[in-house]
Amino acid sequence: MITLVYGGSGSGKSAFAEDLVCKTNYPNRYYLATMKSFDEESEKRIKRHKSLRDGKGFITIESPIDIENAIIDKDSIVLLECMSNLVANEMFRDENPKTFTECADKILDDVKELSKKTDELVIVTNNIFEDGLSYDEGTKEYMRALGLINKTLAEISNEVYEVVVGIGIKI
Amino acid sequence: MILVIGGSYQGKTEYALSTFEEARFFNQAHLFIKKRLSEGHTQAAIYDEIKATTSEGQWVIIADEIGNGVVPIDEADRAYREVAGRILIELAKDADEVYRVILGIGQRIK
Repeated sequence: MITLVYGGSGSGKSAFAEDLVCKTNYPNRYYLATMKSFDEESEKRIKRHKSLRDGKGFITIESPIDIENAIIDKDSIVLLECMSNLVANEMFRDENPKTFTECADKILDDVKELSKKTDELVIVTNNIFEDGLSYDEGTKEYMRALGLINKTLAEISNEVYEVVVGIGIKI
Repeated sequence: MILVIGGSYQGKTEYALSTFEEARFFNQAHLFIKKRLSEGHTQAAIYDEIKATTSEGQWVIIADEIGNGVVPIDEADRAYREVAGRILIELAKDADEVYRVILGIGQRIK
């Protein structure tokens, strides 16, 4: 079973997704962290998220690429956070960036493999699509990949929530 | 307190004015947050100021949702987006009712 949690930056989507996970009783709670620490700001974001998870019984697995390789025990729920970082990491992992379809295919295959290993998979993903600005071709390609992944994940998910000012709306 | 949020130019103000006739309005709260941030105020101080301003009587706070875009290059823009989001989450927790306005249509989400 897959649950998709979608929202903008600072929408409270992480806290909402963690609450969803914490309402379940699986013996194993995994947190697949896709963000790589590369500067002070990302380090700060990672620390904030870690403190949010404190005491909630999560086992954190750093998984910036190839999420299907994560070692997950049975009787588990997995929170994957977040898709926007995973897409950036996968798209730009080699010298030549992947096209948006290559990137989306790879990630969607990995998600399907990962979801076979666990009872429930909760995926946090981002709404980056509503600022009305034009971007360079590289950014557009990234946006296409994330957009296609979001749309496809919504199709295969059992539940989809959009989070607005911390409030989850089932869509 | 009632919170009305939504994207830019969605008819939030008109919706709020016609729906909550008796209230007092704190409009464009996101711009207030941006101004205070540029003056060096912290997230907590800005939140406290909004709360103090709206403590007497029935208030409607209106703000844009600004987080639904690509991560801005500029550090101050990123901080603004983050802080505005966090403050709105707190205000939504405090609010008795929350409405999201899209295309002039308000949906009650709390």
